[in-house]
Amino acid sequence: MPASEKFLLSVRGIASAALMMGALGLSGCSGNPGTATAQLPSAVIITGANQVRLGTTVQFSANVPVTWQVNGTMGGAAATGTISTTGLYTPPASIPAGAITVSAISVASGPTAASQLESILNPQPVVGSAVVTQNFSGSNYLVDVIGTGFLPSSVMQVAGANVTTVFVSSTELQATISLAAGTTTVAVDVVNPNPGAATSAMANASISSLKASQPSAARLLDQATFGPTLNDIQHVQTVGLSAYLTEQFAVPTTLLPDIATPAPTVCVNTTTPCEQSEWWQTVLTGNDQLRQRVAFALSEVFVISTNSVNARAVTTYHNTLANDAFGNFKTLMKDVTLSPGMGLYLNMLNSYKPGNGQIANENYSREQMQLFTTGIHLLNQDGTYQKDSGGNLIPVYSEAQVQSFARAYTGWTYAPAAGVTSKFPNAANYTAAMVAIDTAHDVTAKTLLGGTTMPAGQTSQVDLDGAIGNLFTHPNVGPFICKQLIQHLVASNPSPAYVARVSAVFADNGKSVRGDMQAVIAAILLDADARASDTSPNFDGGHLREPMLYMSNVMRGLGFKNNDATAGNDVVANASYNSVGNYTAALGQRPYSSPSVFNFFSPEYVIPGTTTNAPEFGQENTATAILRLSLADNLANNRISGFSVDLSATSGLGIMASKTGNAATDSGNLVDALGTIFMHGQMPAAMRTPIVSHVATLTNIPQRVRVATYLVISASQYKIEH
Amino acid sequence: MGVNRRSFIQYASLAAAGSAAGLRPFGALNALAQTPTDYKALVCVFLYGGNDANNTVVPFDTTGYNSYSTIRGPLALPQSGLIQLGQAPNFALNGNLPDIAKLFDSKAAALVTNVGTLIQPTTRAQYLANQNVVPSNLFSHSDQQLEWQNAAQSGATQTGWAGRIADTLSVSVNPNGKVPMITSVAGDTLFCNGNASTPVSVSPGNLGGSSCSEGAECAARQATAQALLSFDSGLTLVQADNTITSNAYSYAKTLSDAVASITPITTVFPTANGLASQLKQIAQIIQVRQALGVTRQIFFCGIGNFDTHSDQVNLQGNLLAAISPALAAFYAATQELGVANNVTTFTMSDFSRTFQPNSNTGSDHAWGSHHIVMGGAVKGGQMYGTFPTLALAGPDDSGSNGRWVPSTASVQYAATLAQWFGVSVAQLPLVFPNIGSFTKNNLGFV
Repeated sequence: MPASEKFLLSVRGIASAALMMGALGLSGCSGNPGTATAQLPSAVIITGANQVRLGTTVQFSANVPVTWQVNGTMGGAAATGTISTTGLYTPPASIPAGAITVSAISVASGPTAASQLESILNPQPVVGSAVVTQNFSGSNYLVDVIGTGFLPSSVMQVAGANVTTVFVSSTELQATISLAAGTTTVAVDVVNPNPGAATSAMANASISSLKASQPSAARLLDQATFGPTLNDIQHVQTVGLSAYLTEQFAVPTTLLPDIATPAPTVCVNTTTPCEQSEWWQTVLTGNDQLRQRVAFALSEVFVISTNSVNARAVTTYHNTLANDAFGNFKTLMKDVTLSPGMGLYLNMLNSYKPGNGQIANENYSREQMQLFTTGIHLLNQDGTYQKDSGGNLIPVYSEAQVQSFARAYTGWTYAPAAGVTSKFPNAANYTAAMVAIDTAHDVTAKTLLGGTTMPAGQTSQVDLDGAIGNLFTHPNVGPFICKQLIQHLVASNPSPAYVARVSAVFADNGKSVRGDMQAVIAAILLDADARASDTSPNFDGGHLREPMLYMSNVMRGLGFKNNDATAGNDVVANASYNSVGNYTAALGQRPYSSPSVFNFFSPEYVIPGTTTNAPEFGQENTATAILRLSLADNLANNRISGFSVDLSATSGLGIMASKTGNAATDSGNLVDALGTIFMHGQMPAAMRTPIVSHVATLTNIPQRVRVATYLVISASQYKIEH
Repeated sequence: MGVNRRSFIQYASLAAAGSAAGLRPFGALNALAQTPTDYKALVCVFLYGGNDANNTVVPFDTTGYNSYSTIRGPLALPQSGLIQLGQAPNFALNGNLPDIAKLFDSKAAALVTNVGTLIQPTTRAQYLANQNVVPSNLFSHSDQQLEWQNAAQSGATQTGWAGRIADTLSVSVNPNGKVPMITSVAGDTLFCNGNASTPVSVSPGNLGGSSCSEGAECAARQATAQALLSFDSGLTLVQADNTITSNAYSYAKTLSDAVASITPITTVFPTANGLASQLKQIAQIIQVRQALGVTRQIFFCGIGNFDTHSDQVNLQGNLLAAISPALAAFYAATQELGVANNVTTFTMSDFSRTFQPNSNTGSDHAWGSHHIVMGGAVKGGQMYGTFPTLALAGPDDSGSNGRWVPSTASVQYAATLAQWFGVSVAQLPLVFPNIGSFTKNNLGFV
């Protein structure tokens, strides 16, 4: 019991014979008849303080200086309470077993003394405040009482009924209770037992329900981050889904640093490992999880690849996507168009006005329409195709329009180095937006979408702004982009109604703004279809975790640590996170390394033999399925080069796997803990039961943890995020 | 989850029990089919991104070369660097294709010129008058890749022509097959997917099963992991992945057992060459064809980055320089295995590229292209089809930039290969519903 415990100390006169338990009358012990008149101060009751002043002098025949003893010991002792030379009595930490007698001994008279029987009672409990909070598993509530005078033997009462009480400190008690749904307040009081039994006044506790269920919070994090952690799940449960998104919208971008010049030793041959390492470090550890997750989705729409782009331009490009992820889509279009990374990848960089016998380079203009903004065919706002009277799909653009846009985008080159006169072309500059050189620009008239024309003689900048503005307002952009973002974040097969709801937000965020990405992201993640599985786990949605997201989710969920980071080494210079990509590369993915601008998989990919649209299945086949099982084995066995994960008997999961010694119970708890992290707390019984049965047979606790982990993360139920 | 992506094991069981014609999906047509006693394999090499055919096969006669050189400007290859074809002296190959030139001249390879996606025979005038007579989304990578692979007029058709061959022939030609007829060493692709059949995908050099670090516990762990695959949660995507993973366990065991004790092929394949690694893996699987119980196989492999909008001469040159020795090694391996006459290898690609250069020392998306066919059964040393007139806005140009209107349809090219493989004329419409739109269903190159 802490020294700050508050006792109610009753100090009573010698004559008092009504002794409480633990108190024993004892008369003055001196043989000196002169002491018969000596007295200690009369009874004092003190609450809210832990010391009692008995005086510096004692009334014998006259006030005389005294020294103090408790139960015959000068100054007292911890078990009986202590008393200072000035008569300040400090009660013991707990009710003492026997009587307490305080004696004052006259300094002048030697043995002359006055003794006083002291009776120590339990304190009066006082409830200052009581808070009732729904616990994270959602099944019951935690009552937390703050006050004074609490004891290990204190009993909390809720609505007048005793509840199992956990003593936290003399100022805090807790209890776990269940409550009827809809309960808004409950009355709480605290009873202290004898000696000095006392009951506090009632306090009305307001009930603070969590703002999100565990499945809802965990699923949102699965959709909106690079993987749920227990802390993040509890945080989202506490603040709620919408508030979490608002928080995340405000988190600044974790910027990938420019790769140093000269490049770090590990990146002398190629800068790609440094870029890759920065990316993995950011997505695994950054606080701007939602921003990075959206940037990742955008990077699979606005594809560039280190296959042909210098990694120095890729870090810049990634920062552009991350910075613009929460801005306006038109800004994103423009920044992507002028980024040196995209300029390099699709050849808008240094695209010169066509001379005689030449055409303008169509690479960017074609793919910008086909892949980044409108798609090939006219869409309804719900993402389905429009058809002409003959039932045919309707093209968005003609070959002539591709060439018009191609000419509109001529004349751009790298930004000049500081102090260098700009010319066409400028020397490589991977970090600044491209600049226009109007003498390299095609100044003929251009016909854009919808027949909009741009007159001859415009500058590079005016033509570019006109072209981007023309595309941005095309009605296809909302459904074309929104459906893909839904596919990346939530579900491969969004219903047309879901797409339409998000497209409407793209078209107008409610404040007459088109292309508001924050509004679009919130609309995607908070849509009823995105949340349906929170309460209906068999809702038929979801999408396959692509290899990089699979990797990041398992690493974050299990708590992998980078060894260099743990040791305090320079992880950027050492490219310490680069090794992660070696594991996903086997499955066909590294960050920014798509084989073409068509991404690792097509948004329209259909699982063979079915009509099921499932983009990520473009990389799921009998070869990669085997490789993913091998990856799961590496992850569960702490075999990720440069990283460590603790799945030992003393780890959190290890303790859970061995806590009671009952293999079935412990295995069940272990699998449930894995289910919270990896299955939104909704692991089906048909998956849980065989895993629990299997790992209960394993007596080696670390192996029990490893095998349970493997069986969860290798299961299709986990691979399909749903 | 449809029933079509059922595991091959189920499919094979059906086939094994299905001597009664009614159990066969195409029983009527297959009624006379016999399990072949020979072996045949088709090997598709897909050149992703649109290989520039204009710099793959170049006119070599003075008039032809000069005309080529004038229009191609910065993209024109110097005549001195070209490899003149002995069997077709008015033409030459890109200097990075020496092995292909040798194979051509030794009649183990042929060229099929100006092949492309078509709905029906089409002329420049017809195209300019009505673009609806051609397949949808010409010049789009994704669509043209799909249309080459599905031999249909749009990418929306969800089966590939190899997949449909497997649908049509598997039951009769591979009744004891332990793996599907089609093997992809380059991931999942429309070419390989049928209505009733799905391919096995393997990663080159890695035929075995998944790794396990749990020692004696491994077998039990795998048993539980596999048991979890049988739990039908009713979720479409989970079921789809369960099926793929179940097949993966089965195929990995079959393949790794089959190659466990073979003598390695001695033919040396180029190293640091992705296509060569894929072809080497294909050769190894062909080597164990008897253990796999197959008499007919189709393989898919690929190589990317042909989308040369800039710096084309270098970029394409490097790619062709990888293809040439890889194909040559593969042909040599089939000779070593004694199956050179039983294996026919062919190229496909999204499209060719504009004959007119762009302002970036590159070229843009075009249409009709030239392709390589290789193998002992190929009637080699010849160029098939009609070489286009290399003139902007000329008789073969779909516009004015040198996008050649194909004079041969990709479906004719595919049907020729399919017939050699064993698809009968009667079965052709099952595999190529549109083949009837063309007078010739067999180009005779193999």
